[in-house]
Amino acid sequence: MHGIISAGIIGIGLGAQYALLALGFTLIFGVLGVVNFAHGGFYVLGGYVGYWAVSSAGLPYPVAVLAAVVATAALGYLFELVFVERFVDEQLATMMLTVGLYLVMSTGVLAGFGPEPADFAFPVTGSWHGGGFFIPWANLIVLGVCVLAIAAVYLVLYRTDLGRALRALADDRPVARAQGIRPHLLFPLAFALATGLAGLTGAVVTPILTLSPHVGDSVLATSFMVVILGGLGSVTGSTVAAFVVGLIEAYSDVYLGGSKGALALFLLVLLILIAKPSGLFGREARRA
Amino acid sequence: MNAGIRFCLLATVAAFPFVLDAAPANSGCELKLGMIGPLSGAATSWGVALRSGAEFGAAEVNKTGGLPVGAEKCKVSVVSYDSKYTADGAAAGANYFASQNVKFIIGPVGSPEATGIKPVAQRNGQITFSTAYAKNAIEPQFPLAFHELSGPATWAPPLAKAAKEKFGFQSIVCVAPNDQGGTDIASVDAEAYRAVGIKASEEYYQRGTTNFAPIIQRILNQNPDAVDTASSPPGDAATMAKQLREAGFNGVIGRLGGPGTAEIIRAVGGVEKLGNFYWLEIVSTDDPGVKALWEEYKELMGQPAPDNTLMIPAVASSRLLLKAISKAGTIDDAAKVAEALRSLPVEDKNLGKGEWTGQKIYGINQELSFPVGMGLIINGKTVGVQKIDTVEAR
Repeated sequence: MHGIISAGIIGIGLGAQYALLALGFTLIFGVLGVVNFAHGGFYVLGGYVGYWAVSSAGLPYPVAVLAAVVATAALGYLFELVFVERFVDEQLATMMLTVGLYLVMSTGVLAGFGPEPADFAFPVTGSWHGGGFFIPWANLIVLGVCVLAIAAVYLVLYRTDLGRALRALADDRPVARAQGIRPHLLFPLAFALATGLAGLTGAVVTPILTLSPHVGDSVLATSFMVVILGGLGSVTGSTVAAFVVGLIEAYSDVYLGGSKGALALFLLVLLILIAKPSGLFGREARRA
Repeated sequence: MNAGIRFCLLATVAAFPFVLDAAPANSGCELKLGMIGPLSGAATSWGVALRSGAEFGAAEVNKTGGLPVGAEKCKVSVVSYDSKYTADGAAAGANYFASQNVKFIIGPVGSPEATGIKPVAQRNGQITFSTAYAKNAIEPQFPLAFHELSGPATWAPPLAKAAKEKFGFQSIVCVAPNDQGGTDIASVDAEAYRAVGIKASEEYYQRGTTNFAPIIQRILNQNPDAVDTASSPPGDAATMAKQLREAGFNGVIGRLGGPGTAEIIRAVGGVEKLGNFYWLEIVSTDDPGVKALWEEYKELMGQPAPDNTLMIPAVASSRLLLKAISKAGTIDDAAKVAEALRSLPVEDKNLGKGEWTGQKIYGINQELSFPVGMGLIINGKTVGVQKIDTVEAR
């Protein structure tokens, strides 16, 4: 019983992290129609900005996390404004642009910080033990931050004019334009919001796992799987799918082992997609 | 061509990170030593250590005016290739080096890489000096493939016995990635533990895993006395050790596999928090000669050596390889250099006397063998490195 509860807690923790990553990824696709291959790069950059802020600038960890969010959001804003904006309707061009940006980011980080994992530790250590299971305090805090951030994204999207405008653009761009919504002002903001989320995830998650220049590769792969499972462009779908993937991953790894667990995860995702090719919330695809 | 596409092309070309070092142009005889290994990903520190060892070997020779080859003195440079710990990466690296007329390669590092490179390097006429722990790291049908250090079949039995004597544990889980770089080592480790009466099980995970929480939970469900991270890349082993301790695991952590102690200590938060830990040292690092190497490196290279001991066999094999090239009097004929290499006595300035081994385990005597060590941290205190005799297994 303890094992089942522990695996569930691990799964929820994984799901929250995946949700935060997938939200940004799906937001960019939903609003701009762009598949952001640099998403893992912003995660890595968030981690390194946080690491630099703590280790070189001597800032407290919470300020370092804020710095990571601001830096990644600012870079995302500029990148969209300068490069993506001009080719926003050309899928091949935006794909190449984001792949190029990812290569530049990971190589830049490699050149700046070296290839070895950075010594970036979470400031809170120890675990809460109770009822035969445990939760590291750091994981609990990260889970809290992820849940708050997800709630904030929902708040922005569903309770603000900015969110309504973004959803309108995702629903039907020509009609939204006719209503006076200006994509060239909102697209960079959506991009910044998404990359800021990736940066936030990087700054809070890498200290509890590992931070090295290429950890973004697996992040991109996971984000893809979650977003496709949830239904491309669906915010709700991505959030639900993230927790589904997190829980399946945790239970299959714990009870089947690392190799069979990974296989089980992909098989289950495949089965879901066979049953529902447009993803769990496919009807909402391309809607925010 | 519009600005966006131009940016893409420039970015892609600028960031293409495979060839990280270019050899300086030299008007006289120039010998390029290739280095193939992971320079990105979780196993990066092994690749960096190997590259540093090769660069140090080259710098030593260059300091004396170059390597005597026939009537010439050749300047030695090192070119490196990021094989990303993959078979195809290592094979592509060998082909790239063949196009650059690089005949001598230090590396690759891991078992998948060794499997990928052997046939390609043999066909290209290139000598390789791998550190892979694969059960077939070297084979009689690939006479140009050499091995820098002893493999698990040599050191696992005496180390498992020594670990049991030191910590008295009765059960252990050996955890490693689920490819040849993991299974070929963890299975040998587990067998060695079983041979001394320890109940051993094996756990494998998908390479590329970043969050080990589910694997750790699975290990804890087995309630073992000890966990051996075997040949897990240093970054993975460090995360696992950290998560094990955070989960309240107070048992012994071991590492009979690749070097990575510094990363593990750092991740866990210091020696005190690590508690009881033992690990394979691929050479006996407390020997004065080995200790002196770190100082020599700093003096010659102007920077500290990487804190990964895989650099040490890379230095020894680079030195021996360069000596063989000089003896053979050619920088083009790998077969002739291999012949010279086999005939050279194994004696290193820092490591002392060693020997060519491998006949018993691989069927070919092309493994550089020096005494290994077992590092120990007991109750949060560093005890040092104990020399381990591997004669029986060899």
